[in-house]
Amino acid sequence: MKTFEEKWTAWLDDQLSGHELSEFEASLPDKAAAETEKAEARKLRELLKRELSAQPLTNEEFFSHQLREKITQKSRELPRAVAGQTATSRWWTIPRLLWAGSASLAVFLVFTVAVIHEKNPAEESQYLTQILNARVDPIVSPNATVAIFEVKQDRVTVLWTEGLQSLPADYAAK
Amino acid sequence: MQTEATLAQSDVSELDLVKRCQAGDTEAFDKLVTRYRTRVFGMIYNMVHSEQDAWDLAQDSFLKAWKSIGRFRGQSSFYTWIYRIVMNVTIDWLRKKQVKGGGSEFDDAIQLTEIDPASKTVPRTEALPHETMERDEIRARIEKAIAQLSPEQRAVILMKEIEDMQYHEIAEALGCSIGTVMSRLFYARKKLQNLLRDVYENV
Repeated sequence: MKTFEEKWTAWLDDQLSGHELSEFEASLPDKAAAETEKAEARKLRELLKRELSAQPLTNEEFFSHQLREKITQKSRELPRAVAGQTATSRWWTIPRLLWAGSASLAVFLVFTVAVIHEKNPAEESQYLTQILNARVDPIVSPNATVAIFEVKQDRVTVLWTEGLQSLPADYAAK
Repeated sequence: MQTEATLAQSDVSELDLVKRCQAGDTEAFDKLVTRYRTRVFGMIYNMVHSEQDAWDLAQDSFLKAWKSIGRFRGQSSFYTWIYRIVMNVTIDWLRKKQVKGGGSEFDDAIQLTEIDPASKTVPRTEALPHETMERDEIRARIEKAIAQLSPEQRAVILMKEIEDMQYHEIAEALGCSIGTVMSRLFYARKKLQNLLRDVYENV
């Protein structure tokens, strides 16, 4: 469905015909005013054509010469740019990519194993020792300390105390 | 006026030139440039109203055409295809200039009074006949009126009224629908009629 603007433009340019033309002209509220505007549009067209179409290009040959120079310059730059791109892309061949990928994976695995070992050093050790330092009752033995050494594999626990005046009956290491 | 036979002949040779360009023949492209340079320059000049800018934009347009000629498939005429490049380059330039100039460029760029009286490009008024002066004034009025249109309206009015292009050719050159072309023509004509009524009524 054409808008009014489209129909009006087509009518001014004599592009409407047959049923479309008669329908459009019948829809005009003031045909005389529309015809006046059509005549004005023609005058405008003639004015524009007369005044604007004769803008010459001076130095036509120089224009072409300058363009040829630019094209030659661009053509010289293009192979250099393409060569640069090829040189860069040639380094990353498929075997090199595979090699780089494998090497990266190996380095990753080595680091992963090393980190796991660092986190659980006791499991690698034959003797797991847990040392607890705790003070016993400060009123009875103000400078006393107690340490516990435990070897899980041998199911042995050594209780090491120092500076005790006496060992309370209800003593328990904290 | 070209007959259908000569038109067909020129179309064939034009297609041949395009094919040679696609194979890298710069001489063939030079021939196409020679064929269209004046029309392209004139079209751009009427949109930008500056000889130097029109020259540069025409150079840019042809350079872009050379770079992308490999993509021309011959579905439209070379003439429509080059006009599409010309319009893209020119409308982009006008938009950038409008943004930089805060939007006032379209209305006030053409100020004859701003020309340096000592400039060599100023016409020697004492040597010019009265008719030429009058014509210069008319031309300045037209340019000033066109400067008040949007870049797209300028493009459609110039392609339709000066170049006598068909709606579908303009639509192809601007990459829009035929309806949009007709609508832009409607508003461009209305505006120019308002601005230039006294000119075309009294000439």
